[in-house]
Amino acid sequence: MDTNARRRRIHTAVVSTDAGIYNHDLSLYSDFPKNPLGLPEFEELALERLQLLRIIENAALKGHKMYSDDWRNCIKEDLVKNNLKKYVRLMNGANGQGGADFQARRADHLSHYILRLAYCRSEDLRRWFLSREMEWFKIKFMAQTSAGVMQFLNINSLKYMPISNDIKDDIKSELMDSTPGLSHAVLSTIDIYKVPFTDVLPLIKSRRTYLKEGYAFIPMSDLVVCIQSKFRATLSESLNQINHRLSNVDDDRLNDLLCNLHNTYTGKEYIENPNKDAVDIGDLNDYSKKHFPLCMRHLHEVLRANHHLRHSGRLIYGLFLKSIGVLYEQFIEFWRQEFTKIMDNNKFDKDYLYNFNHQFGKVGKMVSYAPYSCIKIIMGNVGPGEAHGCPFKHWDVSYLKTKLNEYGGTQESIQEVINLVTNGHYQIACTKYFECAHGQPPVNSINHPNQYFEESMTLIKGRNKDK
Amino acid sequence: MSAEYIEEQLSYLLPIYYKRLFPSLPFYRWLSYGKSTNFSKREISFTLIGDIYLRFQSFDTHADFVNELCKRFPIKIDIGCVYQTKPRDKNMLTALIPVFKEVVFDIDMTDYDEIRTCCSGADVCNKCWKFMAIASKIIDATLREDFGFKHILWVFSGRRGIHAWVCDESARTLDDNVRSAIVEYMYVIKGGLGTSKKVNLVGNVHHSLKRALSIIDKYFIQSILKDQDILGTQERLDCFLNMVDEEVREIFRGNMRKLETSEQRWHSFEKTFADLQSKGQLSRGGRNMIEEMKLYYAYPRLDVNVSKALNHLLKAPFCVHPKTGKICIPFNVKNVDNFDLNNVPTLNQLMEQIDLYDKKTKEQDNMTMETDESTLNKFKIKDYKKTSLLGPVNIFMEFLRGLESKSEKRKMENADLNF
Ligand code: SF4
Ligand SMILES: [Zn+2]
Repeated sequence: MDTNARRRRIHTAVVSTDAGIYNHDLSLYSDFPKNPLGLPEFEELALERLQLLRIIENAALKGHKMYSDDWRNCIKEDLVKNNLKKYVRLMNGANGQGGADFQARRADHLSHYILRLAYCRSEDLRRWFLSREMEWFKIKFMAQTSAGVMQFLNINSLKYMPISNDIKDDIKSELMDSTPGLSHAVLSTIDIYKVPFTDVLPLIKSRRTYLKEGYAFIPMSDLVVCIQSKFRATLSESLNQINHRLSNVDDDRLNDLLCNLHNTYTGKEYIENPNKDAVDIGDLNDYSKKHFPLCMRHLHEVLRANHHLRHSGRLIYGLFLKSIGVLYEQFIEFWRQEFTKIMDNNKFDKDYLYNFNHQFGKVGKMVSYAPYSCIKIIMGNVGPGEAHGCPFKHWDVSYLKTKLNEYGGTQESIQEVINLVTNGHYQIACTKYFECAHGQPPVNSINHPNQYFEESMTLIKGRNKDK
Repeated sequence: MSAEYIEEQLSYLLPIYYKRLFPSLPFYRWLSYGKSTNFSKREISFTLIGDIYLRFQSFDTHADFVNELCKRFPIKIDIGCVYQTKPRDKNMLTALIPVFKEVVFDIDMTDYDEIRTCCSGADVCNKCWKFMAIASKIIDATLREDFGFKHILWVFSGRRGIHAWVCDESARTLDDNVRSAIVEYMYVIKGGLGTSKKVNLVGNVHHSLKRALSIIDKYFIQSILKDQDILGTQERLDCFLNMVDEEVREIFRGNMRKLETSEQRWHSFEKTFADLQSKGQLSRGGRNMIEEMKLYYAYPRLDVNVSKALNHLLKAPFCVHPKTGKICIPFNVKNVDNFDLNNVPTLNQLMEQIDLYDKKTKEQDNMTMETDESTLNKFKIKDYKKTSLLGPVNIFMEFLRGLESKSEKRKMENADLNF
């Protein structure tokens, strides 16, 4: 690293006007950085934060339940391993006032802003960045004591008023029914806050709060959801704005750095089929058995059996097919062949064709949609009569067992997969399944159905060459 | 008098329907929300005879709208969202930017096929209609009590489903994120072809589900156990038991199989449950088994995609269903138990009712030939009042009054729009 940068960093860190905004481990990053930053330090900070966010993402991919102690420890260990102790420092909730604390917060602040520049560029990048930043915020928040939280609320002028004890008494039983983990004993000792339901959507989605006439009644521990949603909204807006203005960055070096950050270090999006080999629809039955992950194989088989898929199934399977290299004409032909087994061509044209053209970006907004990643599939809803979803997540264990048997897994390997599933490690289970099917594990853990396909293809191609 | 419905008749009956019966003024007032640009920037799509689908239409005034209706007599009208500019002026270069749309819900009987036993597919009878009654009550209560919405219009979709339009201003401007959250709050039956147990309640039963269960309880014995006979055959019983935890399944099976009717079997299920629980033989996950079963067999099954996105279109009230000839009439949730599918007016019935009326007042025959707008409007009042569309229109008007009483301060731009 450039020594100049190091000196400059230390120099800027002690500027007293800056110290004021670095009093607390938690930050909403509302202040735009004012002091100039050298390119080397800029780059170093960017890579470090990227590592931080990747480490957070990987902890979940390794199968740790998010926000559990295991998960936190895994993140801490990885941070230490990667020389990012300063971020560990922000995870202990101490809000220390020493020099190293200020340094850590300054790095946190600046690097966050740098990544805004790199991650504003596409919908998927923005989504990824937003999710990781929310997680990082929550990691820090969860470590805070209530005094720490109060202090943070004050610093950021966030005003939440607890409801009176009388009101709390009135809605006691509703609160206990509707707030997981809220017992009689706990309820009597804590404050309850009344907030608009739109501030706590994650709690609404999972039905984890008492809701009355548009207001949610939440304990202090859930305030983090409100703050996160505010943070998310401002960050998301800011990313959109930066994106619009980004063409103004005329420094080539900077531009390279920002774009490369994305290319070099983030997961693939799989929008374009990278291996460029066209896949023939006549081969799909064969491919589905050999190279598709279970989720796609299931969709394929249900489609062949019922000659129909519901909306989400069509979308997920369609985008997958498109990205493995099925060409447009064949793509339409494939769906037509199946659907017209139960309806006439007219109906297909009228009710479905637009939909498939849309997937291919031929009509409507004309955008190329990215195929669904595992996370998106796993987090999605599957309703009655629908065939999409991640088998490891959405199926009954007994049904999964039957299917795996049917597909010819050994008892031992099936049990291994099932164990992973019952512990909630869906993608690891999928990775294991890959290993059982191919006799060797994929290069990376499975995080995308298209990655599964590609790894499977590469493997087979390699073997064919070896012969 | 039987009014057998024939699809071919559409082409000459529909123009009359739109001219004389379709409540276009209240319809216009509704979608204007007190401001004419709300209407003129709203996407209203038509499907014409021969399945010609015209999207991105919009109409500047009430008169324009009526003219087009009479000229094109669509077999279906869909309502989309209000955009920043008139959808009609859409071009290749500028994207339409959505501004607002009601939060909508679509419940279709086909989503109940795995549990209903009286009919399947497109068919529907008064027995399975009870699913819709339960669904509308639960959703209505949730929207009002939990989310605080007040202006909700319920509409029969013309064949086998129902729609809800949540029209509060606060609802209309919600973004997709909030819409999904609201839907997911009401999304209880989860899992597709690979899942047998689709309802899972952990810990205490949420307040909103307790309310839903109290609604379901009013119907459970008669509509679910007796009418649907959900436990009446071996196959149905197996299906039911598959949702029970493996460890105790056989105990339940043994007890339930001894009995004949669904009702007896259910009581045995309840009793066995109580026994096992008192002996401490149920796992923690089995604690809410009874509630889970009731929800599985009666809780609303939403088409979630319709509600999640701002720009999703939904069929308008007072359309004529082209297959059944039934009018998509608004209904009152409070009286949904009295809603009889066989009493939903059909296009033919309405026409007969008008004819009857016309015969009585001969001179009016000549008047309807007139094209003068004001004369027409005058007679429209009489027309619908002489038919069985009166009740549904009144329900619509009541909804409209509620909506407008709130926004009264913002004066109606068109003062003469009194229907
Ligand atoms: S882990 Fe991913 S690729 Fe594997 S089955 Fe699930 S969704 Fe598909
Ligand atoms: Zn029926």
